[in-house]
Amino acid sequence: MKISFTNKHFWGIASVVSILAVWKLLSLLLGSEFLLPSPERTLLTTLGLFGEKEFLSVVGSTVLRGLGGFSISIVLGIGLGVLAGMHPHFNAFLQPILVTIRSIPVIALILLALIWFNPGSVPVFIAILTMFPFICINVIDGVKSMDSDLTEMAAFYRVGRYRIIRDLYLPGIMPFIISGASSAMGIGWRAIITGEVLSQPRYGIGTLMQGAQTFLNVDAVIAWTILAVVISFGFEKAIRWGERKLIAWK
Amino acid sequence: MHLEIKNISKAYGEVNLFNDFSIGFDEGKISCILGPSGCGKTTLLNIIGGIVAPDSGAMEGFEGKAISYIFQDPRLLPWKTVRGNIEFVLSHELTTTERKKIADRFIRLVELEDFADYYPAKLSGGMRQRVSIARAFAWPSDIILMDEPLKGLDIKLKLNLIRTFSRIWETDKRTVIFVTHDVEESLLLSNEILVLSNAPVHIVTRKQVAIPVPDRSPDLAYLAGMKNALIRALNG
Repeated sequence: MKISFTNKHFWGIASVVSILAVWKLLSLLLGSEFLLPSPERTLLTTLGLFGEKEFLSVVGSTVLRGLGGFSISIVLGIGLGVLAGMHPHFNAFLQPILVTIRSIPVIALILLALIWFNPGSVPVFIAILTMFPFICINVIDGVKSMDSDLTEMAAFYRVGRYRIIRDLYLPGIMPFIISGASSAMGIGWRAIITGEVLSQPRYGIGTLMQGAQTFLNVDAVIAWTILAVVISFGFEKAIRWGERKLIAWK
Repeated sequence: MHLEIKNISKAYGEVNLFNDFSIGFDEGKISCILGPSGCGKTTLLNIIGGIVAPDSGAMEGFEGKAISYIFQDPRLLPWKTVRGNIEFVLSHELTTTERKKIADRFIRLVELEDFADYYPAKLSGGMRQRVSIARAFAWPSDIILMDEPLKGLDIKLKLNLIRTFSRIWETDKRTVIFVTHDVEESLLLSNEILVLSNAPVHIVTRKQVAIPVPDRSPDLAYLAGMKNALIRALNG
């Protein structure tokens, strides 16, 4: 079997190995599996998570919250972003709202959401408020940077409004949507888990993290964290895959 | 039949581009507006296309006429294939199959049938301009306006595009009005050449070119003689 092993791969792997080495060194120095468990023990705990009862419900609930919040943010972000990009007045109206949402500390949103919503919806609400502004702002930039030669051409040929949005604006801003979606996913995913830690829905990665922390199971806290990172990595890969499919014309 | 622009005036700030200016075009002919750079040729084209309104004056014969365009830059959607770009401008009152049929017919006419599924990024500059020609003819227009459609192309590509254009035009004689500052282009492509002056614009001279477009070539003695006359007219 032939494996292509590039320089890039080498440095990527070297980076992961370094993290593990520092971790191992610290755990040896501290000499306490309780305060900082060794990487190998944590790895075993992580694998053990898959065997836990209700594992699928836990991970599934968190992932669904992520996807739900993401989908709503995408629809809202594109819809309002296209409107704002095309109409300067609406843009002027929307800007202060976006700036405000982006400036509010996530924890403040969570505290309020805890009062307003049931535990399962709090993380979704938080996800929308953290992801939507990113996507929306990117879409506005995308619409503004549309090639005016092309929009003029479509107007000269009297192309209908619906087709101008579907065939001209949407593909034109797609690279902006993708980059907005990618940064939104990174931030939103962390916000969802923070939301779960504080709102304690029945099923959720954050719920179990909080439980493990209460009982001082440091290895379990790190194990859930590793899982969260892996899932986030998966989302990022999915977005990049979507990008290759959607921007095939480049 | 005749298209008339009568006594129009148009100023941009202090600059009086047109002052009581009139010009007429024969329908079903290729008319070339030849003028020095910056004389207001594009503005005149935009007035004809209804994109820019003159400050005063009248337009006759343009009512209800549909206009298609060939720009200096082909203005293709990069995310649509050659076929998709032509289908994009066709009315959605047509069915998908009808749109595809029309697009494919004009793709054949500009000899791009092997490239119908290519994205513009994969085509050469000349091929992209051919798509833009196909798009202008595929759209059911009465008038085709062209703004320096051959600018920046080498002479071989120019002749190639002119042949493509005139081949379609011979089967479908729409009114064509095109602007250029290049004397050679005007001689190779038009039935009539109208030479404009610097602003405020007036018509310096108008010349008919009798030879059929497909028979023309830059080294014809007849055209060479006209070329000198046109250059003199251009330089006032």
